[in-house]
Amino acid sequence: MNVLYFLQQLINGLSYGSILALLAIGYTMIYGILGLINFAHGEIFMIGAFCSYLLVSFSGASFWTGLLGAVGGSVLIGLLIEKLVYDPCLKKNPEVLTVFIASFGASLGLRNLFVMIFGDGRRAFPTPEYLEGIIITESGLFLNVKDLLILAVTLILLVVVTLFIKYSRIGTAMRAVAYDPTAAQLVGVNSKTVVLLAFIIGSALAGISAVSYGISFGIVNPSMGYLIGLNGFIAAVLGGIGNVPGAAISGYIIGLGEILFVAFLPPAWSAVRPLFVWALLFIILFIKPSGLFRPNVKIQ
Amino acid sequence: MNKKTYTLIGSLLCLAILLFLANTFLRGYYLRLVILFAITSIVALGVNVTNGYTNIFSLGFGGTMMVAGYATALMTLPPAYKKAVLHLPLWLEQLQVAFPLALVIAGLLAVVASIILLLPAFRLEGQYFILASMGINIVMGNLAENLRGITHGDMGLRNIPAYTNIWWAYGILLLVIYAIHRLVHSRFGRGLIAISKDQQLASVMGVPVVKYKIISFAIGSFITGIGASLWVHLVLTMNPKAFSLVYVFQVVAMLAIGGIGTLSGPLIGAAILTIGTELLAPVQEGFTFLGCTVPPIFGFVNVFMALLLIVIMIFKPRGLMNGREIGSFICFSKKEGNSNGNSNIKG
Repeated sequence: MNVLYFLQQLINGLSYGSILALLAIGYTMIYGILGLINFAHGEIFMIGAFCSYLLVSFSGASFWTGLLGAVGGSVLIGLLIEKLVYDPCLKKNPEVLTVFIASFGASLGLRNLFVMIFGDGRRAFPTPEYLEGIIITESGLFLNVKDLLILAVTLILLVVVTLFIKYSRIGTAMRAVAYDPTAAQLVGVNSKTVVLLAFIIGSALAGISAVSYGISFGIVNPSMGYLIGLNGFIAAVLGGIGNVPGAAISGYIIGLGEILFVAFLPPAWSAVRPLFVWALLFIILFIKPSGLFRPNVKIQ
Repeated sequence: MNKKTYTLIGSLLCLAILLFLANTFLRGYYLRLVILFAITSIVALGVNVTNGYTNIFSLGFGGTMMVAGYATALMTLPPAYKKAVLHLPLWLEQLQVAFPLALVIAGLLAVVASIILLLPAFRLEGQYFILASMGINIVMGNLAENLRGITHGDMGLRNIPAYTNIWWAYGILLLVIYAIHRLVHSRFGRGLIAISKDQQLASVMGVPVVKYKIISFAIGSFITGIGASLWVHLVLTMNPKAFSLVYVFQVVAMLAIGGIGTLSGPLIGAAILTIGTELLAPVQEGFTFLGCTVPPIFGFVNVFMALLLIVIMIFKPRGLMNGREIGSFICFSKKEGNSNGNSNIKG
């Protein structure tokens, strides 16, 4: 247990945290604006990874085309879910429970659709050679190029999204709808556009997160979005619902926590890794039910 | 002896004859299906007490069912098997409990588990509560995978004695239906429905909200625990995946499809899903039809169920029963004024 080992794990944790942070933003935006847990977000993530995998493996596209494909596929599926499931549900019956069950259904349906088409086995995610490189620093630290790339891309995206939400006109509209939909409509905010935009941004980030997951773990499979999706949602809750930077920071907290939990406890404990996240959630919700940061929703 | 009583006795006799015929003429798979329907209905009715009548939407029942399932398995497994694969304290290893007692103990353990696990979660509201209750499933599943000395991990427990038969399953189902019917039409049941409509108003009217919520959880967990116990003695294996989130989803789907907060809704939902799943199972496993071999399509059943659920949620958001009860329950009561299908959890 030396400093080097700690730093090494810290980098792993940051890379994993980036994946969660990007996912958490999608959850927090959609929850903040529509007031529903988008259970299918984990499946949007999975479909993004599959789009990239299929493009690169079968049509020989480059990694970056694959990334674009992942973003495109995720956004498309996110909008489809919104148009085909959530929109009709909310129009017919604004009760949250109905939409919740429908979103549960969408999640299970999409996951099993991919099991139907591709089987439940794991497939190797095609990572380009130049991302597999390792930089060894003078102090003996091993830095994966892909981890650095993931971290850099995520940080840039986080800054861009935060600034967009905070300062742009439409970003202000999004926060307004999340805070009070009726009042926002009264002052002329088109909530339809805002909802669509939330789905587009959330899904696009999920697509990028999925490719990050692909290159960092090297696999894709239809149930990949399930547990990590839940972790992403926990991050969104911890970050205070509707609070985009809060969700991102919580994503990093959970990612780092999970990796360090496994790294510094006896190996026998590593099987209970999923418990750690839930324990953290329970503890934080008891102490501070609104999350670590200020939620951007109207307190009812 | 009025007309209602005759109808009731008549329908019970008909059911008994039907069950006797089923028990005599159906074998293996089909008999199992008939029993499975009863067990699934018991579980759905139990969940309906909390999620429907009281309107506390909990997904944690998978975790408490797991407790009940493992408990009943450990109480009835032969000591030699337990000695061979598990590491248990001696008294538990030697423990042999009669089936009816095992059912009750499993139910009570489920109650204890649900209260320990869910009581802290009561501090949370709406979707936060749903999330926390969902966590209980994942936590319990993970514990079951890792406490190998007690649960045999992923391999699961086998050789569980086959105690569940058609009479046990339907006898308990009828008891549960009667109990819930009486419950809903009691002062307590009306209190629960008042809580489901408006918690604050109920509290102002003198309903002890927290106490009633906990009791309703206890009742629901007891029923689902017994259901889990029956299930284990029918399927004869118990593993950490048995009551996973997919199972939880199926039960929620039954309630949603049938109509949540009614007595007949869960039964109809259970019937549709049990029969539908089994009818579609050949598609999933591949079959030969008119000489053409259709390859197995895994996951087909779940995709179909998910689609059905979404369509019903869009067009019939309160389920097929839409808060009404079907005619066969007329023998219990003249009219059901309770249209508790509309849940109003605020996000």
